[in-house]
Amino acid sequence: MKGIIALLLIATSSICNATEQAEAIFKQLAPSLYQIRLIDKASGEKSSIGSGFQITSDGLIATNYHVISGYARHPSKYKIEYLDNKGNKGALELKSVEVINDLALVKREVTREMPFFEISDTTPTKGEELFSLGNPHDLGMIVVPGTYNGLKKESFNDRIHFTGSVNSGMSGGPVVNAQTQVVGINVATSGNQIGFLVPHDKLLSLFAAYKVDEKISIEQQMLDQLTKNQEKLMSTILANEWQLKQLGESLIPTVDVPFIRCWGDSNADKADALILAAVAHCTLEENTYLSSHFFTGILEMEFRYMQAKELSDTKFYTLYEQRIKRAGPANEANKEDVTEYQCQHDIVMPAHQGMKNKAVFCTRAYKDFPGLFDILYLAASIDKNDQALLSHFTVAGVTQNSAMAFSKKFMESVTWK
Amino acid sequence: MEIIIEEISKGHKLLGRHKFSKTSITIGRGYQSDIIISDPHVCAEHLNFAYDGEHWLVSDADTINGSFIENSKSVIKQHIVKSGDIISLGKSQIRVFFPDHPVEASTTFSPFENLIDIARHPISLVFNIALFAVITGFLFYLNHGTEVSFTQLFVPTISMMLMFALWPAVISIISHLTKHDARITSQLGISFVFFNLMWVSDVIQRFVQFNVSSQWPLMWLVSAIPIALAFCLFWFNLSIGFHTSERRRLIISAVLTGLLFGGNALIELSKKPEFSTRPKYDATLMTPMFSITPSTSVDEFLEDSAELFENARKEIDEE
Repeated sequence: MKGIIALLLIATSSICNATEQAEAIFKQLAPSLYQIRLIDKASGEKSSIGSGFQITSDGLIATNYHVISGYARHPSKYKIEYLDNKGNKGALELKSVEVINDLALVKREVTREMPFFEISDTTPTKGEELFSLGNPHDLGMIVVPGTYNGLKKESFNDRIHFTGSVNSGMSGGPVVNAQTQVVGINVATSGNQIGFLVPHDKLLSLFAAYKVDEKISIEQQMLDQLTKNQEKLMSTILANEWQLKQLGESLIPTVDVPFIRCWGDSNADKADALILAAVAHCTLEENTYLSSHFFTGILEMEFRYMQAKELSDTKFYTLYEQRIKRAGPANEANKEDVTEYQCQHDIVMPAHQGMKNKAVFCTRAYKDFPGLFDILYLAASIDKNDQALLSHFTVAGVTQNSAMAFSKKFMESVTWK
Repeated sequence: MEIIIEEISKGHKLLGRHKFSKTSITIGRGYQSDIIISDPHVCAEHLNFAYDGEHWLVSDADTINGSFIENSKSVIKQHIVKSGDIISLGKSQIRVFFPDHPVEASTTFSPFENLIDIARHPISLVFNIALFAVITGFLFYLNHGTEVSFTQLFVPTISMMLMFALWPAVISIISHLTKHDARITSQLGISFVFFNLMWVSDVIQRFVQFNVSSQWPLMWLVSAIPIALAFCLFWFNLSIGFHTSERRRLIISAVLTGLLFGGNALIELSKKPEFSTRPKYDATLMTPMFSITPSTSVDEFLEDSAELFENARKEIDEE
C-alpha cells in the first residue's frame, strides 16, 4: 500500500511539475507571442489567423508562410496585423518568406527594445519534453506540452515529429524546450496527438539570408526557393538507382528513397470484371503550399497493368482507351497561377525496344515563376493484344531540364518482362 | 393560233395549265370565264385575250385592281402578247406561251440517279439499315464496361436507328408538303448509305489519329471527310426531294452542312470553360494490328516536347 501511495505521489508531483513549468514558460514568453491575422481590406474582417513569435528586439516576428500566403500572393487585397498578449493591434510588414519550409518573417514597429525568443543552437534529444505555444481556433494563447520524436522519416524536407496536439491557428507558433529556446515552429497536424514542426535550423538560415539581403522581392525569393528545391529533389531522384519491379507481365521502375511511398491495389477479387487490373501508385508525401488554390512540388507515378479475360481485343482496347481519356493534374492551380496545358503525342519506342507506347506529354507554365512548369505524362502500351500497361507521372514546379531528364529516365525504364 | 396559259404561284410554281385553239379567251372570277380564278381581288370579268389574225392582244376589262405585265406599273390596254409574258391580276399570276416557245434541252439521267435507284432497292435498303443497326449495336457492346446481353443492346440500337431515320422522314414530309414526291424509300436508302459511310470515316479518322503524331500537318484533311460526307448527303436529299436548280442545291447543301458542323462547334465553344486545368490530348487507341507507323525514339519525342515549353513561355509573354 505504501508503495502505491508513493507511486501516486511521484506521478502527481511530476504532473504538477510539468504544469508549473508550462505555466512559468507561458508567463515568461507571453509578451513576445502574437496572433497574426490576415485582414481582407474590402470587408475589414480577418480572412485567416495564425500565431507568431518575436525573434529580435527590434520587432522581427517569425510565423508560417501559409498564414500570410494571401498577402504574399495578393498584396493589394490584404493587410497583415498582429494582436499581442495585452490585446493591442498593429500593422505588420512582410519581410521575407521561405515557401519550402513554410516560414515567413514579418516586422512590427517598436518604440523600445522588446523581449524576444531565443533560437536554440542544439537539436532536442528523442523523448525530450517540449512546449508548443499558439492560439488555436482563435481561443486565446495556450501552451501544449509534448514530446520530441525525432525527424519524420518520409519527408524530403525535414519535419519534426512532435507528440502533442497542434491545432489550426497555432500555425507559426514556437515550440520551445525547457530552457525556453525555440527548437521548432508549429506547421501541421496529422490528428490525434501527432503534430509536425519545422526544425529551428530552417528559421536560422532564413534569418541569416534575410540579414544578408533584405531587398530581394518576395516573388524572387519564392522563385529561387522553388527552383533550388526542385533541383535538389530531381537530382536526388535521378541519382538514385531505379529498381525494376514486376507488375503483372510488365516491369515498372521504383525509386528507392524514403520520401516516395508506393501503394497498390487490384481487382483480383472481382470475378465478374472483364479486365484484371493491378495498380501501383507512388507519390512524394509532401507538397509546397503557395496559396489556398495553388500547390506545387508534387511528384506522382502511377502504373496500371491490365489483362483481358475472355474479351475480344477490340473491346479490350476500347475500354483501355476510356481509361486514359481523362487524365488530370495532381496539384491544384488556377488561371492566375498557370497557363492551360499544351500537349503532344506520338508512338514511342524506348532504346531497349521492350515496349511500344502511345505517349502523351503535356506541360503548363507558371505565370509568376518563370522557368517553372508542371508536367503530365501518359503512355499506353500498344504492342500486346490482351495486355496493356498504362504508365503515368505528374511532376509540379520543375524546370525544363529537370522535366526532360526525369521524363527520359521514366520512359526508358518501363518495359515488358 | 393556239395559246397556252399557265396559272402560276407567286414563286412562279405551276398551278394549272390550259391550251386554247379559240380566238378569244376570257379570264375572271365569274363562272362564264374560260379560266376561273378564285381570288377575291380578281373581278368576275377581268382579262380578255383576242387574236386579230396576226397577234394576240390582251386587255384589262376596266377592273378595280387592274392587270399588269410583271414588273410594270401601267394597266394593260391592247397589249401585244409575247411568248413568256407574265401577267398579274389581283394577287394571282398567269404566264402565256405560244406553241413555238423554245424549251431547254433534255437532261440525261445522271450516274447519281442510278445510285439513288440502287439505294432505294428493297434489298440494299434493308441491308444498309441492318448494317447500321449492327454497327451501332457493336459500338454499344464495345463501350460497355461489363458483360452485356443481347436484349440490353437491342433497345439502344433500335432507338438509335429510329432517331437516324427521322432525318430522311422529315425531308420526305417537307418535300411532300411542297408539292413534290415524298420518295421516302429513296431518302431512307440514300441517308443510311451515308450514315454507314460516316462510320467508315470515323474508323479512318481514328486510324490516322492513332498512328500519326500531333506534329502531322494534314490532320485537318482527315477531319474534312465527315464534312464532305454530310454535304453529299444533303445534296442527295435535295435532288431526291426537290426540283431546284443546281446552284440552289449546292447553296442549300452548303448551308445545311455549315449549320450542322458550325452549330456543333458553337455548342462546344459555348460549353468550353474560360480556363481548363485538364489537359486536352488525343487518346485514340486501337489494337496492335492497326499500328502501322514506325515509332520514334524517346529523344526525338522529348525534342518535340521542347516546343511545348516554348509555346507556354510565349503564352505568358503575350499576356
